[in-house]
Amino acid sequence: MKKRSKLWLTVVPLYVFTLLFVLGPMIYMVVLSFQTRAEVWGVVNEFTLDNYKNIFHPVYLQTFAESFKLAITSTLFIVAIGYPFGYFMAKLSPVWKKRMMLLLMIPFWTSSLIRMYGWIIIFRANGTLDKLLMGLGLTQSPLKLLYTYPAVVVGMVYALLQFMIFAVYSSAEKLDWSLVEAARDLGASPWQAFRTVTLKLTLPGLLSGVILTFIPSMGLFFIADILGGNKVVLVGSLIQDQLMKAHNWPFAAALSVALMIMTTLMIALYKRVTHSEELEGLL
Amino acid sequence: MKKVFALALTGALCLSLLAGCSSAASGSGSATAAAGELNLFAFGEMFPQEVLDGFTQETGIKVNYSTFDTDETMLSRLETSKGGDYDVVIADDYIIKTAIDEGLVSELDKDQIPNLGNVNPVYQGQFFDPEDKYTVPHGAGVMTIVYDPALVGKEITSYEDLWDASLADNLAIIGNYRVIDGMALKLMGESYNVEDPAVIQSAGEKLLELAPNIRAIQDANTQDLLISGEVAAAVMYTSQTYLAKINRSDLEIAYPSEGLGFGLMAQFVPVNAPNKDAAYQFINYLLDPEVSKQCFEYMGYYCTNQAAEELFDDATKELLVLPEDFLSSNDIEMIQPVSAEAEEAHMQVWTEFKSACGQ
Repeated sequence: MKKRSKLWLTVVPLYVFTLLFVLGPMIYMVVLSFQTRAEVWGVVNEFTLDNYKNIFHPVYLQTFAESFKLAITSTLFIVAIGYPFGYFMAKLSPVWKKRMMLLLMIPFWTSSLIRMYGWIIIFRANGTLDKLLMGLGLTQSPLKLLYTYPAVVVGMVYALLQFMIFAVYSSAEKLDWSLVEAARDLGASPWQAFRTVTLKLTLPGLLSGVILTFIPSMGLFFIADILGGNKVVLVGSLIQDQLMKAHNWPFAAALSVALMIMTTLMIALYKRVTHSEELEGLL
Repeated sequence: MKKVFALALTGALCLSLLAGCSSAASGSGSATAAAGELNLFAFGEMFPQEVLDGFTQETGIKVNYSTFDTDETMLSRLETSKGGDYDVVIADDYIIKTAIDEGLVSELDKDQIPNLGNVNPVYQGQFFDPEDKYTVPHGAGVMTIVYDPALVGKEITSYEDLWDASLADNLAIIGNYRVIDGMALKLMGESYNVEDPAVIQSAGEKLLELAPNIRAIQDANTQDLLISGEVAAAVMYTSQTYLAKINRSDLEIAYPSEGLGFGLMAQFVPVNAPNKDAAYQFINYLLDPEVSKQCFEYMGYYCTNQAAEELFDDATKELLVLPEDFLSSNDIEMIQPVSAEAEEAHMQVWTEFKSACGQ
């Protein structure tokens, strides 16, 4: 009994940390979202629901739709590339698995912002890609690749692909391949075996990969700003504009709360579908 | 044993956290400097190191240069310290008005600034400080259009020209929504500071017609897009125009005929500045013509120091000194704070415009 109480003590810092740095700001934000902006500067302590009503203004609803559109588009590409990648990576020899893992991790050592600037060098007028295409004689004049929607999608896919790969990989690695063999022995075609056995068993990984990429892509507005020239307005950029430019903190808080509610619903949906408590590949 | 170790470790972690807090607190506390130090608070990259070193050499006062990214950060820091911590602050016009209204700015003791006479009077007596009681101007900016004549193929003289279909997907603009919404307002013959949301809305409709021409909306280093040939024309801040012209002298500057947005930066002394004597010495030092020259060449804003004008070489002078009759002969207007209602209308217009640019 005494031992247990001592053990409990070691958890205290965690609780303090959570209270101070997670719950505290969250409560502050929720409270802020019900307050009124001051005429010139700051916030007045006056209860209002206007900030939430304001979200339903068509201009602002549009940014939610735009965020969903971009998140879905990027997630589809990430699934198409990341799933086979993770699947085949799980089939590699242990040595190559480690090497692969390292290769995937190395880019993370550089700030994602700087990696996005790398894409600017590739995409910009007379940049690397332009020179390559023109050198090969495929195009005659510089293409306008930077500040376009596809450029934003490339940036999103590049930034989030690793999360999908790792999630699928950890699922596929646990897969009992003898089950696939059994299916084949019982007369299933390779496609049937994949569909009924492999896909089903790696589904938790795939779905957690979707969660791990879809949710951040709702918020990664700096990619849309840098590679899209600020022309794709996501909820994230709207929040930033409201905070830094319009100084309407309560509205920014209300938008953030709405975004958090949406992501929470997504995670709840994930739990309902997979009946699992934790995200595969996260732990 | 392991558990004891774990406990000790967590204890140490907690302590280091607390230590972090206290050192952070004392960090801001030490800003209430002893005599011999000056706490300067301004945007980044405003001062060449020689200028700061020169002040220390001349007076023996050490300069602690802290920077902020946005005027709003500056104001909230000043609010937190109740007008203390810093001796000299340099910020933009509109935020200084708020700071003065909140009583955070101290009245200048002009006897302590003998160089005050060097200030170009056209920049004095502005809306944020009509009697020049609190501030000394330090740099002016106007919104300009810069374009590449080789890519545009004709002369640009007005905002109207930016709406021209020949510029499709070829225009970069800064992300300052009051300036950009203001272009449409100016086209309609309205003021930048119009309060009527309906007028702002109709400016927004006009602005939507500009969307197909927008290649990028970018606040930082907008001039790079022009220099590299990514765009044919750009609407930019003065400092960016300066950099663009320095890098490519073939670029043309246009002052739109419909009217120009104008902004000023100014220095002030916070009400509880720890070392006001040093503050006055520093303000006086910055007004020295030679020092001013170095500052303005470094930051690329229009020179507000009349005595420094003669020191620039001709090419630089053209970029950094506004012609004498410029402010009186052009339709120039300072962008001032507007009501929350008008602000809200601006924000909707701006968000709609940005989304339209991406379509």
